[in-house]
Amino acid sequence: MPDFVAPTLDLHALAPEFVLAGVVCVLLLLDVVLLDRAKAIVGSIAGLGLLGSLVPILTLATSDHPTRTMFGGSYVVDSTSLLLKALFIVSAYVVVLLSTNYIGEGDYWESEYYTLLVSSVLGMTVMASARDLISIFVALELLSIPAYMLAAWSKRDGRSNEAGMKYYLMGVFASAILLYGMSLLYGWSGSTQLSEIGRAIGEKNSPAVTLGVVFVLVGFAFKVSAVPFHMWAPDTYEGAPTPVTAFLAVASKAAGFVALIQVIGQALVLRMNVMIPVVAVLAALSMTIGNLIALRQTNVIRMLAYSGIAQAGFMLAPFVASQYGGIDAIVIYLVLYAATNLGAFAVVMAIARRTRSAEISSFGGLFSYSPGLAVALSVFLASFVGIPPLGIWYGKLSVMRALIESQGRWATVLAIFVALNTAIAAYYYLNVAKTMWFDDAPEGESTPIKVPTSLRFAVGIALVATIALGVYPGPLTDAATPEATPAAAPSGR
Amino acid sequence: MFAIDPLLESVDGSAVLIVLLKVVVAFAALMIAVMAMVWFERKVVARMQNRLGPNVAGPFGILQTLADGVKLFFKEDLLPREADRPVFRLAPYLSLVPAFLVFVVVPLGGDFSNDRHGVVSWFGKETLVQVADPHIGILFVLAMSSMAVYGVMLAGWSSGSKYPLLGSVRAAAQMISYEAALGLSLLAVLLNSGSLSTNEIVSGQSGWNWNLWATGVVPFIVFFIAATAELNRPPFDLVEAEQELVGGFHTEYSSLRFALFFLAEFMNTITMSAVIVTLFLGGPNGPSFGPGWLQAILPTVWFLAKLLVFLFVFVWLRGTLPRLRYDQLMDLGWKLLIPLALGWFLLLAAFKIGQDEGWNRAVVGVVGTVVILLGALLISMAVGTARARRAAVEVEA
Amino acid sequence: MIASLFAAQACAPSECFAVPANIAFGICALLMIGAAIKVVTETNIVHAALYLVVVLAGVGVNYLILQAEFLAVTQFLVYIGAIIVLFLFGIMLTRAPMGRSDDLDNAKLRPAGIGAAVMLLVVLGGALLSSFGETHLVFSTANSTTALSDAVFNQYLIPFEVVSVMLLAALIGAIVLARRD
Repeated sequence: MPDFVAPTLDLHALAPEFVLAGVVCVLLLLDVVLLDRAKAIVGSIAGLGLLGSLVPILTLATSDHPTRTMFGGSYVVDSTSLLLKALFIVSAYVVVLLSTNYIGEGDYWESEYYTLLVSSVLGMTVMASARDLISIFVALELLSIPAYMLAAWSKRDGRSNEAGMKYYLMGVFASAILLYGMSLLYGWSGSTQLSEIGRAIGEKNSPAVTLGVVFVLVGFAFKVSAVPFHMWAPDTYEGAPTPVTAFLAVASKAAGFVALIQVIGQALVLRMNVMIPVVAVLAALSMTIGNLIALRQTNVIRMLAYSGIAQAGFMLAPFVASQYGGIDAIVIYLVLYAATNLGAFAVVMAIARRTRSAEISSFGGLFSYSPGLAVALSVFLASFVGIPPLGIWYGKLSVMRALIESQGRWATVLAIFVALNTAIAAYYYLNVAKTMWFDDAPEGESTPIKVPTSLRFAVGIALVATIALGVYPGPLTDAATPEATPAAAPSGR
Repeated sequence: MFAIDPLLESVDGSAVLIVLLKVVVAFAALMIAVMAMVWFERKVVARMQNRLGPNVAGPFGILQTLADGVKLFFKEDLLPREADRPVFRLAPYLSLVPAFLVFVVVPLGGDFSNDRHGVVSWFGKETLVQVADPHIGILFVLAMSSMAVYGVMLAGWSSGSKYPLLGSVRAAAQMISYEAALGLSLLAVLLNSGSLSTNEIVSGQSGWNWNLWATGVVPFIVFFIAATAELNRPPFDLVEAEQELVGGFHTEYSSLRFALFFLAEFMNTITMSAVIVTLFLGGPNGPSFGPGWLQAILPTVWFLAKLLVFLFVFVWLRGTLPRLRYDQLMDLGWKLLIPLALGWFLLLAAFKIGQDEGWNRAVVGVVGTVVILLGALLISMAVGTARARRAAVEVEA
Repeated sequence: MIASLFAAQACAPSECFAVPANIAFGICALLMIGAAIKVVTETNIVHAALYLVVVLAGVGVNYLILQAEFLAVTQFLVYIGAIIVLFLFGIMLTRAPMGRSDDLDNAKLRPAGIGAAVMLLVVLGGALLSSFGETHLVFSTANSTTALSDAVFNQYLIPFEVVSVMLLAALIGAIVLARRD
């Protein structure tokens, strides 16, 4: 038996994760030491901790050799993964900003709330670097398990309990399917590393590989709430505390996509004939059905949930064109989607503080008494629609470009779907804007809505990101494009 | 190495016979030991309480257990009307079988000095004086002790009566809680031995190099307390607190089925003592002298002597200590034993790493102690917080 | 079941192990299938949990047949010794019905369930047979525990650490959600 060799750790590359783990511990211990006095500062500590973990990401991004590989290629820190980590952390920071008032004013367990939030973010950052099945699965569980419980965090609210329960049961079911698929892929290739699996399944196909690929894709489809595995999403989004909903809709969904990016980009891309039809069907269904149901919603949060399903469809589509910059398009889309969606949630929360409801009708005449919020929400809605130069337009452009450049049959069909669905989506997004600008305000609504500083700050961050990245997307594109494209494959479509 | 037992390197007819012989002997020895243990316990407790104890059946009443067994055997076998029949019938066996199985991995003899790994020569074949020595020996002990929960739990549930149910819920909670402490204190031994095999663990303790002091006594104490709780023996016998629960989980059992529970309980006491001897007191290790035949049986004699010490201590505890309250039981397990075992394990691990890396032992010791004290401080703060909150809630109510 | 734990060591050469391993597997597989069917059809929840024990023990025995002793003991320790015990514990401590409850087995959906199960069986079985049908087991002589621990603390160090954070988070969340306040 050869002696055990300790692995070499690149502590700099792992620093963001270490900072986050430290924040988790500090948040936990503060509660013990300070008792109720801790309540006042846990939110700030969580926010500062998240910002603190951005520091090593920046130093890594500007260091001489930004691509670092550990554990024989199982853990990779490169520019794309740094971008994604930054995305998760900034999203979580915005969620913390959204939470400070909401959680502080409600009947919640505060320090535990932030502990779970930060540990979920830790799972996401690990996911961004994970390049083998076990790391991916474990990271996925770390990011989902706290999310299941956060969805049920208003313990006295039946709808929140239902949200948590549905999310949990569906999520666990999806994990089981995913794990089975992973075990098939591992059984066939004899390795947990994605690159090895890609090599093995690329050489020779077998029914087990086909099943494995389908199961893995189905498992992740649950996580990103793609149709027909979306049933949990609207109920969970509506029932969960709103900041948690924002977290689920943005960070959690993005993490699901990141997992898909790793698995498809590193391994399944070499088994195109199985992967493309599955993904294409999921994408087309998600876009269309998500949009059609969103059309009928009267509640903004439910509408955002269904529109999120449709947006997931837009983001799934470029996987079909993985070899033609499709993956980069997804990363770009993810970042822009996160900025826009978080902004939208922040504004809806600010409004709901006053109106106590998220019905679209209660937004009537918002412009007349609270013009700032109305303008901000309009910007986010316009970005959702894809109106240049606001955020998502560039994402949609990248998606279309990838689809059209690949020229495959499936890609072309999907491109048509994207175009059609963008038109459908414009209707319900702009409908909300119309209500705000042109409808009459409800009785007695004339004083402007007071927005707490933290919410104001959150809206500001999202607004700046949405507009700036839409106007000048150059740096985003650079970061999203990996230096070395993953294993160039024969174009077997 | 595939088979640790040299007997199994080449299997033929005589090897199979030797294995069978070992199984039969181990089984018979355990049964006889249980009988003796019942007598021993009754006699010693009686002495401690200024009574005579069994003194009618046979010399010194030594056949009393046999007489009791015969009596139980001929009693009517009652099945309560509300009982869940299949489970009610199954439960005693679920108690008994794990108790038996733990015994198979305990080395009962053999010379462990000078790297001889307890190999003895029987009928021209080299073998070990234990029924089996799997790589994962000590985990097998843990697995079986976690199986034992089923017998107790299902017996209480299937009786269809409330006292047994309460007794079994208590028992299950207690056994689960203390299993954590048991496992954590075991880790210290594993760290020291670097192996899960019981044979290797005993080999590592040859020449008075017992784990008892090699791991610094604390794991031994934690293990012993946790083992007592795991066995549901006094002072942790809340499971069968007569004043509260009639007879505990086996209230509804009678006749042979009750005898099986009774047997399992004493068997568990013996096997657990044997495990403690194996883990901490060097098993059959001891001074060797005299002629060849004496040298051959001396290890077994040492083993039995150490075993007897623990059996006596268990009886002694029963004769001396009052039963704990339930909250005291849980506090002891969760707030003292588990953190203590974990902290000690970390300290030992730090020393071990320090040894590999050539750090100064004193520095490691000081830093480790400070960290552990800090941890203890945090735990006591957490406990204080919880207590304060509970008090506040009670004031409100 | 226990006999095979020790039988697994009994035979060093890999050839002489194949036949007994196949027989053990056959028996174990039949038991598992029977028990698994009972798990879903049983109307008494405690009995269902006990049948689940049989299924999980069967998995453990399969690990033994594959000579993964450590995995097998972990399976016994974790699934049977902890998870099912907690199931039973939960049933006994809460107000869940402890006896027969007829709504546990949904007879109306039985045809659909059987249909789905058979379809899954055919698809999975076919795929596995055609992909791995020709593969033969290699019975290694290495101490799998050492190899496992080396892998955990080397290649899989990060997932290992991440799991600990995950358990911590799950623990905290579960306590908060379950506690009375």
